[in-house]
Amino acid sequence: ILSRGRRSSPKQIHCHENWSLSPEEFEIWDRLYRLKESDGAKEPILPQIQFETLENLEETSKPEEEAAHKLSLSEWRIWQNRPFPTSIVDHSDRCYHFISVMEMIELMRHEQGDCSYELELRPHLHIEDVNVQRNKSHLSVTNST
Amino acid sequence: RRLASFQRLRAAVHYTAGCLCQGVAEEKGVQFSKQTIAAISEITFRQCGTDGCFLIICRHAKRSTVTSEDVKLLARRSSSLLKYITQKSEELASSNMEQKEKK
Repeated sequence: ILSRGRRSSPKQIHCHENWSLSPEEFEIWDRLYRLKESDGAKEPILPQIQFETLENLEETSKPEEEAAHKLSLSEWRIWQNRPFPTSIVDHSDRCYHFISVMEMIELMRHEQGDCSYELELRPHLHIEDVNVQRNKSHLSVTNST
Repeated sequence: RRLASFQRLRAAVHYTAGCLCQGVAEEKGVQFSKQTIAAISEITFRQCGTDGCFLIICRHAKRSTVTSEDVKLLARRSSSLLKYITQKSEELASSNMEQKEKK
């Protein structure tokens, strides 16, 4: 296996001021990083946004996506009920919310029937806080044009 | 006290999430377990917390009142969502105009 050190000497940094790679950089990229068929590894791609309840305007997926490795955000979900280590960027509030919900799901995983969350919250429900005419109106939320 | 008011809000969100899930369940012919509804509801509740970034957007524009423009900014990452929100916002604005004219 090739060593994939990324350090370049200061001399090389000076020689390109363009946005694109210099010929030397291109050579390094081509030799060390670029994925080729002979590597036997599929090209990594990120999943695209899809809205189940809205008209989707985003680019439709390219046909060659089948040959790519779609990066999964759910494959390792059982690891996600605790914060992962950080380097120089701390976890955000949103990230901690995600971790908390994953932990909540973990705790409810083996519940049968009654739901502890529901039982805990039921006494706190004030009927004036919610829309009681929901049965007629709730469907309009999921129907879009 | 603070916890109690949080729990009251949570309970309202949970109830409403249950109603919305019921609608989806009927439409798609599936069932949601109570645990699934609880998780969706908790995600929704917490999502409202992270939308406190409203205030940041607002201050960014040197305002103290959140407007529909701030709401649109929340949807900026997806053109589908942005189109939907923009449409709703226009509908709301025009129905507000009509009501004013009637008065």
